[in-house]
Amino acid sequence: MHLNDTDLILQTQKGDQNAFEELVYRYDRIVLSIAMKYAFNEDDAKDLYQEVFIRVYRGLKNFRFQSEFSTWLFRITTNVCLTYKTRSKEHLKVSIESDFDNEENEFSTTKELVYDGSSPEEISSGADLGEIVNSAVESLSPKQKMTFILKHYEGYKIREIAEMMNCKEGTVKKYLFDAIKNLRKKLSPVYA
Amino acid sequence: MKHNEYKQLLQLSLFGELKSEEQLKLKEHMLTCEECRVELTDQKNLLELISGKKKTDVDDKVLSAARYQLRGALRSEKVNKNILSSTAESIHQFFTTPLKFAIASTTMLLIGILVGSLFLGKSSGEELTVQKNDEYRFASLGENIGISNLRFIDSDASDGDVEFTFEASRPVRLRGKVNDPQIQSVLTYAMLNEQNPGSRLNSINAMDTEAPMKYDQDIKNALVTVVMSDENPGVRREALKLMNKIPYDESIKQALLYVITNDTVSGLRIEALNSIIEAGSKGHKLNSEELNLFRQTIQEDENPYIKLRSKTILQEYN
Repeated sequence: MHLNDTDLILQTQKGDQNAFEELVYRYDRIVLSIAMKYAFNEDDAKDLYQEVFIRVYRGLKNFRFQSEFSTWLFRITTNVCLTYKTRSKEHLKVSIESDFDNEENEFSTTKELVYDGSSPEEISSGADLGEIVNSAVESLSPKQKMTFILKHYEGYKIREIAEMMNCKEGTVKKYLFDAIKNLRKKLSPVYA
Repeated sequence: MKHNEYKQLLQLSLFGELKSEEQLKLKEHMLTCEECRVELTDQKNLLELISGKKKTDVDDKVLSAARYQLRGALRSEKVNKNILSSTAESIHQFFTTPLKFAIASTTMLLIGILVGSLFLGKSSGEELTVQKNDEYRFASLGENIGISNLRFIDSDASDGDVEFTFEASRPVRLRGKVNDPQIQSVLTYAMLNEQNPGSRLNSINAMDTEAPMKYDQDIKNALVTVVMSDENPGVRREALKLMNKIPYDESIKQALLYVITNDTVSGLRIEALNSIIEAGSKGHKLNSEELNLFRQTIQEDENPYIKLRSKTILQEYN
């Protein structure tokens, strides 16, 4: 018998672990997909995934169906991603906290190091273009990166992203425009 | 409409976010604006470059590993919750025995003295004892216990019950047989929640006795949790040793598999591997998903001995 999300949530609230597992399996591929694109590596992505569902598990007993489960889940997902500190410090080019409140200051000095020493020609002829693109995406501020990932890779509507990130549509657009502007700055030597 | 606004429309258009009338406006503008046409080509190129270079699909193997780890974490979460409530219940029982009135009265007296000594700064000069069936003793509730944040939940002792919380800088001493469920409950709670790794270690060792031991479900679950998630390798090792003394079952098997695939200390992975092999020799089986974990271990583990032993397991099961 196919149960909808509401049934599964109600059963989970009564302590049915299998119902929770089924609920997780409905959405976890998307959550992991977002985490994989947001995180620096696979281990971090798995940590993010785990943190999201542990929070869902803890919070589900108080879930009062005031929003769709999926909206609530993805809001947790974006929150967890935005506040996550990578565990591999060598990849931590910038402190999340340091630029968290300053969306204008997208590129810190440390971030600029990503491309130091590479002329446009070297970048163009470089073997690992994928790494350069990933570094450029990773160098965006957390909110710009999250917005860009949800829009460009996951294909969500701006309205949906605004719900997930708990902000206005105009704010999402701003993050998106800034993300594009910064990516162009970083990647123009490669594609222009 | 200003030129910059058309540029924004252009970006939104690439993301499929324009209404039809906005799309029409942009189209008309593009016919006459060379700059916007260049901009459109530029942004298309950018997005194509990014789309082509970022992994988009989730690998089934990664998803399956993430699910496996989540199951372990959820088990820990659940166990912790159960232990917490059973310990609270256990402590609660000290105050809700058939001798309710006597204990409640003694407790009220005790609290009075303690609070008095706190506020008046004087020692009562005597050691107070609360007894229950001659097995448990609160033997250290004397002077300078350093009680703080005393809060009554129910201070009316007319029904024989009082309920309160407090924080004490000096611990309450509890004496009893290690097989006693209430002693075990406190030790189990400590092995999961004590901040000091030495205390967690001692709690585990206290239960690792030569005498015949009864390990209930809570202890087993707590050990499984510690083995999988304690941050201190020494604590994990002791928990693993004690867990191996408990009759092997599905949750122990899952904990051992978790250690083999996730623990960062090769010695612990080897110990878990040996336990699985020993269980196998006693007829405990592994399913195909579990065998896949050993295939993964052969490919990914850095330790040659673990690779070799994993190969042995696969050969034995094939």
